[in-house]
Parts: sequence; structure tokens; C-alpha cells
Amino acid sequence: MDRARPLDVVGTLARFGLAAVWLVSGLLKAVDPDQTYVAVRAYDVLPAAGVEVVAALLPWVELALGVLLLVGVGTRLVAALSAALLLVFVVGVAQAWARGLSIDCGCFGGGGAVEPGETTYVQEIVRDVGFLLMAGWLIVRPRTVLALDDRIGTRRLG
Amino acid sequence: MAGGSRAEKQRKQEAAQRRLAAAGIQAPQKRNRTPMIVVAVVIVLAVAVGGAVLIARALGADVEPTYTAKADGAVVTAGTGPAVIDVYQDYICPSCERFEERYGNDITTALNEGRLTVRFHPIAILDEQSNPAGYSTRAANAALCAVPAGIFPRYHKKLFDEQPAEGSAGLSNEQLIQFGTELGAQGDFAGCVQGNSHADAIAKETDKATKDPALQTEGRFGTPTVAIDGKKIDLNDTSWLQKALG
Repeated sequence: MDRARPLDVVGTLARFGLAAVWLVSGLLKAVDPDQTYVAVRAYDVLPAAGVEVVAALLPWVELALGVLLLVGVGTRLVAALSAALLLVFVVGVAQAWARGLSIDCGCFGGGGAVEPGETTYVQEIVRDVGFLLMAGWLIVRPRTVLALDDRIGTRRLG
Repeated sequence: MAGGSRAEKQRKQEAAQRRLAAAGIQAPQKRNRTPMIVVAVVIVLAVAVGGAVLIARALGADVEPTYTAKADGAVVTAGTGPAVIDVYQDYICPSCERFEERYGNDITTALNEGRLTVRFHPIAILDEQSNPAGYSTRAANAALCAVPAGIFPRYHKKLFDEQPAEGSAGLSNEQLIQFGTELGAQGDFAGCVQGNSHADAIAKETDKATKDPALQTEGRFGTPTVAIDGKKIDLNDTSWLQKALG
């Protein structure tokens, strides 16, 4: 039996886990574009046109990352892109926290301003760090089972 | 299974490579770029879908309002059409700005064509969301001042176009006055904005709206709220306006 197998399973769980995160969050954002706009706007970072663009593109990019992870194509690259996006989210939440804004991150739908006592910045960042760990695993060790990479990625050319 | 033998073959290849590497021989390798290309294509597709949605929404040109409005207390009655709706909005509420962006043109068209009457309730539930507090009331007051000044329809839209962020100071009275001047306000619009004389009527209307069970969802009142015959309707049904027009 190959010694790498248990590690492959851990990687596979990370891959499917992260895929589920992107698919669910992307879907919830895609079905309610107005709410997504309000959520992005609440971070108070971008000008109106920037908010419009980010709110329109973000759900679909999240869904794309989710689909790519689900089928397992270019796992390391997609994990790196996921990590980059998650870092942007963490920075966004952290700056809102540091500036004393009271917003909901809108990570999985919802979002916008909330009552000052109702913010959950710590939970939101801890959760994102958890997702970052999954992405990090896949960057360091992208080999997983049930991945399309097995068929198209590792084939030697020439 | 084919996958099994494939993995077997791959392991053998890798073992051979390791032996070569141990012997200091570097076999030239071509990188397989297929996964990278697939990833790029899927992400470009996703951006294209989002971009298409964005462009579709941006293409609608603004409809110029030609309807008239009159005020009674803190309620502005616009248009004279047979279908009647009540619209409750707070000028700093981001969802209200989205509501205006999404349905503003359709509402204005129906008002212009005399098919609709809208009772606008500019209320102030988010006064605490500006710093200093009170922008919601100042903006609602300015909107009520815009009625006798003859510019309410365009001023109402302007307040959402220029909506300040929650947590900010909001638009200053000078800015509120300047917008009115730009739109051709008649009479003492500046004095009306500075005086904030509609504040009491706005507070009363706000109190009435927030305490009306027929306007609540799960015991809470929020903006935007649209009501027909005094009952809140579900804005998640995106054809609500067509249905209201009958």
C-alpha cells in the first residue's frame, strides 16, 4: 500500500471542503445581487463603481473556484487563488473592525451594517483562517484522489 | 480499473525519475499546461457572466420624471394613477438605494403615464447610522422641502444617487441645499432645509410605520418597505410592481 494514501485523503477532504465553501457562498451571493452590493458597499473601501463591479463578479468567481476544486483541475493553482481571495476577505473584515465600522461580513449571503453590538469579527476571521488552512494544505500538497488532475495534469507530454 | 494501472504507471515513472535524479541526471521535461488553461478558461467564463449581468443592469437609461407631487405632513403623494402603493424609505439605507436603482425607473414610468400613485414615506429609522446622528431626518426633511419647491421627483432620486455611506457624517445641509439649487428649487428651499421644521412630522410618521404590525416581517420593521392597502408586500417577488399595476 502506498504510504502517501492517508495524506491524499486529507487533501481530498480539504479540496471538497473548500469547494463546498465557494459553491455555497457563491450561490448565496449570486441569487441576491442587491444584497451582495449592500454587503460589499458596507466595507466602505471602494467607490460606487468599484462596488458595482466587485459585487457583480465576486459570486461567479467564487462559483468558478468551487467548481474547479470540486472536479480537481489545477488544484494547486486554484488553492493559491482561493488563498489570495480569502486573504482579501480577512483584510477587508480586519479593516472594518479596526475602523470601528459595525458590519456583517456578508460571507455567506446577508451583509451590510448591523447594530454595534452585533458584529462577529473574531468568528468571521477565525473561520476564514480555517479555510486558509485548507487552501494552504492544497498549495503545499495538491495531490488528492478523485481529481481530474490525475487524468490531465500529470500526464507526461512528448 | 484503468485509474489503478494509470497510477501504477505514474509511480513507476516517478521512481525512474528519482533514480535518474539520484544519479545526477536531469531529464528534460515539458510541463503540462492543460490544467492551467482549464482554470483560466473557467475563471474567464465566470468573469464574463458577471460582466454580462453588470452591463445588462447598467444599460437602462434614467427615466425623466414628469409627474407631480404634493405633501401632507411627512407623506408625499406622487402621481394620480389608479394603482396605489405606499413606499417607506430611509435616505441613508443602502437597500433603499438598491431598491431605487432597481425599480426607480419602472416606478417613475408608471407615475409619468398616470397608471400609479405612490405615497412616499421618507422616514428616519437610521438616524444613529450617521455620525453625528440625524442624517436620515435631515435628508427626509430636505425631501419634504423639495415638494413646495417643485423639485421632489428629481430631488428624491438625487438623494439616493448621492447617498452617503453609513457611519459617515452624511451630506451637509449646504450640500442638500446645493442639490436643490441645481435642480431649480423655488421659494425658500435653503431656509426650509436649515430649519429642519418637518423633523417632528417625520418622527411621528416613523413611529407610526415602525409600530404598524402590518408593515413588519417577523416582528421587525425595515426599509425599504412597500405596502398595498396598508399591508407589506414581498419584494423578493421581483414582479411585484407589474402585479400592483394590474
